[in-house]
Amino acid sequence: MNTCTSIRELIPWYVNGSLSVNEAHRVAAHLAQCEGCREELAQTMCLNVEVRRAFDELEGLRAEIKTDVVRRTSGQTLASLDLGSFLLGISFGASYQKGRVPIRGDLKLLGRRIRLISPDKEVHNG
Amino acid sequence: MSQVRDLLSKVANKDSAAFQQLYDLFADRVYRYAFTILHNKHLAEEIAQETMVAVWKSADRFAGRSKASTWIFGIARNQALTLLRKEKRTETVAEPELVQADPSKHILAHERVMKALNRLSDDHREVVYLTFYEGLSYGEIAGILDIPPGTVKSRMFHAKRKLAEVLA
Repeated sequence: MNTCTSIRELIPWYVNGSLSVNEAHRVAAHLAQCEGCREELAQTMCLNVEVRRAFDELEGLRAEIKTDVVRRTSGQTLASLDLGSFLLGISFGASYQKGRVPIRGDLKLLGRRIRLISPDKEVHNG
Repeated sequence: MSQVRDLLSKVANKDSAAFQQLYDLFADRVYRYAFTILHNKHLAEEIAQETMVAVWKSADRFAGRSKASTWIFGIARNQALTLLRKEKRTETVAEPELVQADPSKHILAHERVMKALNRLSDDHREVVYLTFYEGLSYGEIAGILDIPPGTVKSRMFHAKRKLAEVLA
């Protein structure tokens, strides 16, 4: 394989910056003296930009997917219990989540949710 | 230790905060990679989900012989190819949905490039994606695709030639 062919094979990875130091030096030294390979480098750099832009324009992953994944992994609810009375406006719910806050309990009183069991107790409107 | 490797070792100990950071770093990239293989956003979403769940479950099995990102893309690829085989068996693989050809629309530069990428074979497009979008070395790509480094270089050579023809 002649030098130009072996250098041109490496140019895509010279452009993305992933070559080893030795390989990158070899490519740079060759480019300094070969106009044809400099032309190949310029074309590959343009292609790199165009391909990145094209893939960037694809619609990304929907945010809701994260909720599903977290529910299936670190935030998996193993058990939950809900007791309450609609007429009195009082309810109590408790759940255990693997890998997160061990036990969690909420008291709902007249539409107001009060977190009872959690390290970071907080009160907010339900 | 690299940031990703560090996160992965925390995930192996079921650290949910580390997992969410890892998710933020990789889920969208895995989705885009799966999209280049499957050409279908719903299937690519499924692969992104299943890959991240597999990372959570098997982070303790990451041996550290490769880069953590290479390991994650390897899982994604295996999942995508398994799904592809299953879909082909039931013949439900959708037509590529990357670009809708509409002659009345002005074709933007990135659409033109995506059309050209769609004309590559799956093997060639994967190498182009992993090189230019993910910035992986040819050795890492060889590891993910389980092929010799020389084959990665040759696929890139043919992919570039085809892209130059189509984009000329």
